Amino acid sequence: MAALPLAGVRVCDLTWIIAGPTATRVLADFGAEVIRVEHEQAIDAIRLGRPIIGDAPTLNNSGFFNYFNRNKKSILLNARHPDGMTILKRLVAVSDVVVENFSNGVLESWGLGYEELKRIRPDIIYCSISGFGHSGRDKEFTTWGPTAQALSGLTFMSGLPGELSAGWGYSYMDHTAGYYGAMAVLMALHHRNRTGEGQYIDISQVEAGIVLNGPAILDYTVNGRRGRREGMPPGNHAWQPAVAPHNAYPCRGEDRWLALAVMNEAEWQALVRAMDEPEWALDERFATNECRLANQDELDRHIAAWTVECDEYELMGLLQAAGVRAAACQHAGDRFERDPQLAARDWWHHLPHPEIGDCEYDGVAPKLSASPGGLRSASPVLGEHTHEVLAGVLGMSDSEIDDALASGALM
Amino acid sequence: MGAQPSSVESATGPLAGLRVIELCNELGQLAGKLLADMGAEVIKVEPPGGSSARAIGPFVKDIPGPDRSLNFWYHNTNKRSIVLDYAGNEFDAGILRGLIEGADIFLEDTEPGTLSPLQLDYAALQATNPGLIHCAITPFGQDGPWAHYRVSDLVALAAGGPMRMNGYNEEDVPGAPPIHGKGDQAYNTACHFATIGILVALYHRDTTGEGQYIDASMHEALSCTTEVGMAYWFYKRTNVLRQTGRHAAANRTDPWLYRAADGRGLLMFGIGRDNATWRQIKEWFQSEGFGRQFDEPRFDSPAARQPGRGSTESSEIVAEAKTFFEAHDAAFSYRGGQERGQSWGVVYSPDETLADPHWHDRGFFVTASGEDVEAPVLMPGAPYIFSATPWQLRRPAPKLGEHTAEILAELV
Repeated sequence: MAALPLAGVRVCDLTWIIAGPTATRVLADFGAEVIRVEHEQAIDAIRLGRPIIGDAPTLNNSGFFNYFNRNKKSILLNARHPDGMTILKRLVAVSDVVVENFSNGVLESWGLGYEELKRIRPDIIYCSISGFGHSGRDKEFTTWGPTAQALSGLTFMSGLPGELSAGWGYSYMDHTAGYYGAMAVLMALHHRNRTGEGQYIDISQVEAGIVLNGPAILDYTVNGRRGRREGMPPGNHAWQPAVAPHNAYPCRGEDRWLALAVMNEAEWQALVRAMDEPEWALDERFATNECRLANQDELDRHIAAWTVECDEYELMGLLQAAGVRAAACQHAGDRFERDPQLAARDWWHHLPHPEIGDCEYDGVAPKLSASPGGLRSASPVLGEHTHEVLAGVLGMSDSEIDDALASGALM
Repeated sequence: MGAQPSSVESATGPLAGLRVIELCNELGQLAGKLLADMGAEVIKVEPPGGSSARAIGPFVKDIPGPDRSLNFWYHNTNKRSIVLDYAGNEFDAGILRGLIEGADIFLEDTEPGTLSPLQLDYAALQATNPGLIHCAITPFGQDGPWAHYRVSDLVALAAGGPMRMNGYNEEDVPGAPPIHGKGDQAYNTACHFATIGILVALYHRDTTGEGQYIDASMHEALSCTTEVGMAYWFYKRTNVLRQTGRHAAANRTDPWLYRAADGRGLLMFGIGRDNATWRQIKEWFQSEGFGRQFDEPRFDSPAARQPGRGSTESSEIVAEAKTFFEAHDAAFSYRGGQERGQSWGVVYSPDETLADPHWHDRGFFVTASGEDVEAPVLMPGAPYIFSATPWQLRRPAPKLGEHTAEILAELV
């Protein structure tokens, strides 16, 4: 395999749960040497996260952890032990990047704030991901993904009118704050390549979520229109651009759905032809987009009566061939077993893991022609690389490592 | 490299000095903004009718018009606009090729195959600019059986997997479909990955001088952004079940979301997991006249209080918390919970985030201006605070073709 593009970039990874490990997963996928610093007394809770492979959690058999921590190394180190802190500082000194997603102030409480990191390594890139950021009156408040989604407006924008929010059925903002973390580190690396200067990056997970709602916020600041109003959020009906039909329609079988969006008149005509020009579709109540919006519930009932007899993949093929935007509403198993596109692009991979056995993985996006990312190793077992990193990266002798072990710094 | 754009402060971001040619509609425009806001000089090339995002509302005062789309305003900050009829006019196509020849990055979201007849495909472009980073954002990638399938944000989120995880318990909303989370989150995720790809390619170019082509599939970006959904399939061959206002899961879990007295959703993500915060929560509830039974010793054990284990104590706590939340405004419970170590939240609408002073303390909201708006208005700013090379708003989104003459003059 050709050298990966970030080969030679070393990341001192102090992250846990999902947002931070997502940032370092991106960096590791493209070849950075990501060294997870872990401590038995403050274990990453995701090491206990379901799905567990086997009868009981062992800290090394979580499929959840394995998904987010491939291609990384793990060392055991107690940062609150003086010898452990000495070793951690030696690791910082030979790292390009430090990433953490602790609550505000944790790193300072270790005596390892940005000023100290910079003293140890003047061009260090320090990236922090927290709920509310490192400044502002509520900086001590904390988030998980769902909290950030609620506070940023994302949860509100997902739901049927008049009901509680459906929200996001997973931590979209853990993923996405992690993506912003990866982008930030990569931008800072480019700046360092040009100037030799490192820097401190402060990411608030909630702010990263508010960034994803710009047009809705401008609708208020420009037009004075509040999001909380009759009919909002509109379920699967379109918000903007306002078009119809725009929904998920039931298909044959249990809990099977086809998503369909008609964006203009030509696409509506194509849909009508694909449905074999049923009489209802030629009615003037559906003749224009304005009419279809005004009679949207009835429109949906007609379309659903057509789709409910059909297989959603067959409809997807039929409609796409006709020029209509439509797709099967796929769950994970569909993507793995039925999606011909992911299969054709070699999206699925395997790697061995010492406790879990053969592990399946998704690929690395996007695809780079000259320096693609790739999968090298499954997630590390706890402390798998302690000796390798202490000896190989920090140049510690066997007796130094034995002393650190005996002192309790490596646990 | 062309002359610096006139009458605008010099870029402070880490990408200052990079020139990007952007040929994007609504799918790829956020990637251009992410680069532009961090200092890159982004030239947006638009066909005579303008980017199709200019036709997406909401519009200023609800009046459509190419310079009145708030979707366009938001996603095109810091860019300049040149109108070129590159598809219909060989002279204009030549100008576009010339612009790309002098650029570091070419960002486009055209359908696969459409650029080759115009000699704007990577093979043609890299011949004259070997350091070029060409990033193509598409719904499904450049090849494969779905490469030419068309999507909207809804359709992409359905195919890619995220939508299937959002929805309702059957007893809450019978027959409810999977729900489309609004805000063009499929496009956003595609752009996050495309930008990551561009930045990795830039690092590679920094170290080797070599350019490259990036095939950025929205479908792949979404398919690896479904958290535990994929892991459950890999290891258990189980598809997680969508639930009302909380994580999809292999088995049904307790609710997290409650309707507060003011109608807003209150998100309770765990309650008093450790004894110290439990004591604070208990005292707070009791001071408000709730949770008198919490003094009984059976509530003292964290294991008994843990949700999802079926204990009567856990059920009683959840029921009492629900009553408490329903009796108070959401912000009261949110702040009270956070002040006692609970990662609780309020379901704010996007505009309600403007009322939270914390974000203003951080200088998060910035001002936008544009057609038919007298005074500058607020919009979201930086997703990250850089100490040395900060995010920066240097200019508002361009009017259609606003910089055509200026950019053409720079080419001479």
